[in-house]
Amino acid sequence: MENKSLSESSFAKRVVRKHLCYGSFDIWFLIILLALVCFGLVMMFSASYPYALNMYNDSTHFISRQAPFAALGIVMMLIISRINPYVWKHYAAPILIIAVLLLLVVFVLPQYKAGFYRWIDLKFTTIQPSEVAKFAVIIAGAVIYDKYKNHMSSSRVATTPIAQKVNKKLGAGIVRESWVPTWLFCGYFILCSLLVFLEKHLSGCILLFAIGVVMMYLGGVRQRWFVIAVASVAVLGTLVCVYIMATKDSDSTNILQGYMKERIVGWLDKDYDPTGTRWQTNQALYAIGSGGFFGKGLGNSTQKYMYVSEPQNDMIFSIVCEELGFVGAAFVIILFVLLVYRGIVIGLHAKTRFESLLAMGIVFQVGLQVLLNIAVATDSIPNTGISLPFFSYGGTSLIMLLCEMGVVLAISRESSLNKK
Amino acid sequence: MSKPDNKKRRGVTALRIMALLSAVLIVRLGYLQIIKGDEYAAKAENQQLSDKETTPGRGSIYDANMNVLAQSASVWLVYINPYEINKISDETEREKVREIVVSGLSVILDMDADTIREYTQRDSSYQKVKGEIENDQREEILNLIDKYENEKDPVDLGTIIGINPDVKRYYPYSSLASTVIGFTGTDGVGLAGLEYYYDELLTGESGRTITAIDGNMSQMPNQYETIYAAKEGSSLVLTLDIYIQYILEDVLSEAMETTKAENIYGIVMDVDTGAILGMVSLPDYDLNNPYVIKSETLQKEYEEQLTANYEDATGDEPTEPKSKSYYQNLQWRNRAVSNTYEPGSVFKIITASAALEEGTANLNTSYYCSGSIDYATRTIHCWKLEGHGSETFVDLLKNSCNPFAVTLAGELGTDRYYDYFEAFGFTEKTGLDLPGETTPREGVLYMSRDNFSQSDLASYSFGQSFQVSPIQMITAVAAVANGGKLMTPYIVDKVIDADGKTVSETEPTVKRQVISEKTASIVRDAMEQVVSTGTGKNAYVAGYHVAGKTGTSEKLTEEEEDVYIASFCGFAPAYDPEIAVIIIVDEPEGEHGGGAVAAPLAGEVFEQALEYLGVEHSYTDSELELLVETAPALTGKTVSEARSEVSSKSINVKVVGDGDTVISQYPEAGREIPSDGIIVLYTDEENTSKEVTVPDFTGYTVSEANRIATEYGLNIKISGSSLNSGTVYAYKQSIDQGETVSMGEIITVYFKTTVDVSD
Repeated sequence: MENKSLSESSFAKRVVRKHLCYGSFDIWFLIILLALVCFGLVMMFSASYPYALNMYNDSTHFISRQAPFAALGIVMMLIISRINPYVWKHYAAPILIIAVLLLLVVFVLPQYKAGFYRWIDLKFTTIQPSEVAKFAVIIAGAVIYDKYKNHMSSSRVATTPIAQKVNKKLGAGIVRESWVPTWLFCGYFILCSLLVFLEKHLSGCILLFAIGVVMMYLGGVRQRWFVIAVASVAVLGTLVCVYIMATKDSDSTNILQGYMKERIVGWLDKDYDPTGTRWQTNQALYAIGSGGFFGKGLGNSTQKYMYVSEPQNDMIFSIVCEELGFVGAAFVIILFVLLVYRGIVIGLHAKTRFESLLAMGIVFQVGLQVLLNIAVATDSIPNTGISLPFFSYGGTSLIMLLCEMGVVLAISRESSLNKK
Repeated sequence: MSKPDNKKRRGVTALRIMALLSAVLIVRLGYLQIIKGDEYAAKAENQQLSDKETTPGRGSIYDANMNVLAQSASVWLVYINPYEINKISDETEREKVREIVVSGLSVILDMDADTIREYTQRDSSYQKVKGEIENDQREEILNLIDKYENEKDPVDLGTIIGINPDVKRYYPYSSLASTVIGFTGTDGVGLAGLEYYYDELLTGESGRTITAIDGNMSQMPNQYETIYAAKEGSSLVLTLDIYIQYILEDVLSEAMETTKAENIYGIVMDVDTGAILGMVSLPDYDLNNPYVIKSETLQKEYEEQLTANYEDATGDEPTEPKSKSYYQNLQWRNRAVSNTYEPGSVFKIITASAALEEGTANLNTSYYCSGSIDYATRTIHCWKLEGHGSETFVDLLKNSCNPFAVTLAGELGTDRYYDYFEAFGFTEKTGLDLPGETTPREGVLYMSRDNFSQSDLASYSFGQSFQVSPIQMITAVAAVANGGKLMTPYIVDKVIDADGKTVSETEPTVKRQVISEKTASIVRDAMEQVVSTGTGKNAYVAGYHVAGKTGTSEKLTEEEEDVYIASFCGFAPAYDPEIAVIIIVDEPEGEHGGGAVAAPLAGEVFEQALEYLGVEHSYTDSELELLVETAPALTGKTVSEARSEVSSKSINVKVVGDGDTVISQYPEAGREIPSDGIIVLYTDEENTSKEVTVPDFTGYTVSEANRIATEYGLNIKISGSSLNSGTVYAYKQSIDQGETVSMGEIITVYFKTTVDVSD
């Protein structure tokens, strides 16, 4: 009996041990991360207080909400950094299903704004399902490309039952073994991004799609497909732009929704502003320009006084530029690049291919968001609402990000990095 | 080993791509912040800086006794923000709000509802609805906004209707001195008269408030605010006196009707300082409605020529109808400084002064007028064709004899005569501080010295073939009055700031001594005789020794023949002159001689103005006979007591009723009644007032008028030329015929003569 109970308890211990990870995490990643989080909070406060004062008559309205989320997020990050990354692989199927369900749930919930389904209201906070979906897409990519890693470079005909049927119908050997994982993965992330698109959340859709493409690349899909894709996107994009510009004054353009069309036209033609959509971009540019080389100094932005709309959100980077100048802005970008760099290093030294893909997927997601956000703020691409990680206001988004960072830290514990 | 390599390669490549894209963004940032930085910073600053102009209050204009002639008052301007209505997405709601705004404002502002509705449909965020609204209307609008904001279903009218401060210029005396004061445009800028001439002083300096504003247009906290205070406009205190101005305007506007002249203009000047006491140009306008044609005659003419030209349009040469602004300009014109005219015989004052000063003539100089004189290849006729016969120096002015003037000028010669022409200021602007003074143009208005021929000299000696402005003429005559000093006329006595502190004061400026005191006094005597016995006798005022000279000149116009300008210029009292008066009647109908048309007007002005100024009468013996008496207090006395009391004075009594005691009297005790006047005494309780209908005195001689007055039981005060009682006739009375007055009422009857006043 004693023996049995001992073995039972050791089984429980084994299970627990299996779900946890040990070893020390990568301290550099944590330092860069905490630097960004702190920097982000300070800048969010600086950017938000005039707006908070104006809207809520309380200059600390945003920071007093964001700071607890940041603290909670860091705690959750440290907890998650103890969870064995294997867990995410083990529970991948339920995570992927829940993510899709959440995306579907918003359609039956009350609309947040006419035609917009984006948030699930949990009373104490709101959840944006697309945030969950991003993580799910990364896991899906990591799982699939890990599972089928041997298929990727194979040129054999696929042997899965469905593939065999398709091959039988369309002629032998059309479906290759190397296509199967990509088809599976594409099916998942395209489904997710389509649902987000139906929620009329274009930026979220673009981001999901981009993450999917990055995962495909990391997963080892042949490079020629990316060359073809980049080329065709460039050609198609140009054609769309030309077409939109040619028909900008007519109402007959139905290929994009009105506001999208206007943003694209506004981006191409800086003077086109029938409904004031360029106002936001222009105000961001004025803020960026006002910063000059060294900036006006922390807290000294004037553009945040109701010129840059909701300066604590998507356009927060323009306030960073105004207050800290080119020097500060470049520093922020470099910090993000360093974070991604350190994440890639962790990924490259990860114990398993799944962990490697997961870590890289997570940091690239951050990198992508940063690139898109800054590109929008600097009027380098058409205006779309993508938040700046760790800087923009948003509790769930911050917690979600920090949890993901916890995953990366967990992977670093298992990696060969700290064994050197 | 190939697999980890592949994995590694993909991760590193992705990192490189990301680093590259980051580098691109850093370069882009560098471009935006360093190269385009200044441009964007300027744009940001531009929208963040609110540079508000603070308009200073415009200064006031006061007359010599600090009566307000022009003043700015704070009023309000109502505007709407049509955008706030049109952005309402629900149509019924939008139209409901629109109707609230339209009906509310149209009632309060007394405006057409459709006009306001059209305003609300405009694509704008600011639309002025009405300016210059008063405080009570503003209150009503605020109440309207309040009312709808506190309703069950509130409407936020506060974002739609706005009220801003506005300024309105008031002219309390409407048309009084309108051509002198001038008016301002809607933007508050002076457009005419003193408002234009002293615009900068009156306007002050606008201030600026520079503040940092946020995107909601409210002030940025903790940001700087720089205020440059506005300097309030200064006020003008004029030398012009509203009472004298009123007297002059009253006399001249009545003459506008009786003479049917095109224009009449006149000036009253303080002879010692050159200060303008009154200045009138008719037709004039209402300062509060400067664009309305005030004169009915002008308005009718404007309308008629519009239709007349329309009819002409079928003819060969349709003429352009004259615009309304042409007629507006006519009424805005200050002819007293802007018009020029041939001075005619008035100019003989200058000829006489020059001859005396140069010693080519003295009081004993005599001349025989045969009715004409041959001079410099032409024959010049006297206005009295049969000639004045033997004349002394004084007769030159008294008879207004042309050949005598030509002879005196001839003795002086062109050069010396021209010296005086220049010295009296006829070749320069007087320098009066009013806009629009005619610039004397050499070769156009007068002959240059080089071209001044003997023939010109002859014409100039009696005021023909050249033009002067009224202000030039009166300034020259004032120089004779004040002992030879040509003054710079002025109308602004002092400039005071918003606190009433004097900023600057005009000192009378002597331009030069033109003639000696001795010469001046001789000319003054002669001019006094012009009025007492000569062509100017219609300007006569008992007790005031008016001195003056009449003038008549034919206007050389292309359209009409036989149009004249009748003028009178003079001063009083002759032995210690106080004021000078010039009256010019432009194109009178019927009589056109200066002595007949202009002199009586001057006489009326002198009489009233000198009385107002408190100048003491100095009567001659003959005048004393007509002097007034003061009515004694007879009420309460018995009829016989009353009779005995008046017996020592040249006053008659008329007793009404059978009582023994005087219950009341009319005129009351203390009032001035003419010598030989009447006091009505009432003795019955039941009958204490008897009324009579005023008869027509005009056309009668003094004695006839007196007889009629006695008949009616009225007192008449005789005014004007009354010494030559045989040849004067009443032309005006202070109370019109047919009016009912109390018996014993004092009526002023004005007399003038038609004999020997043709010039």
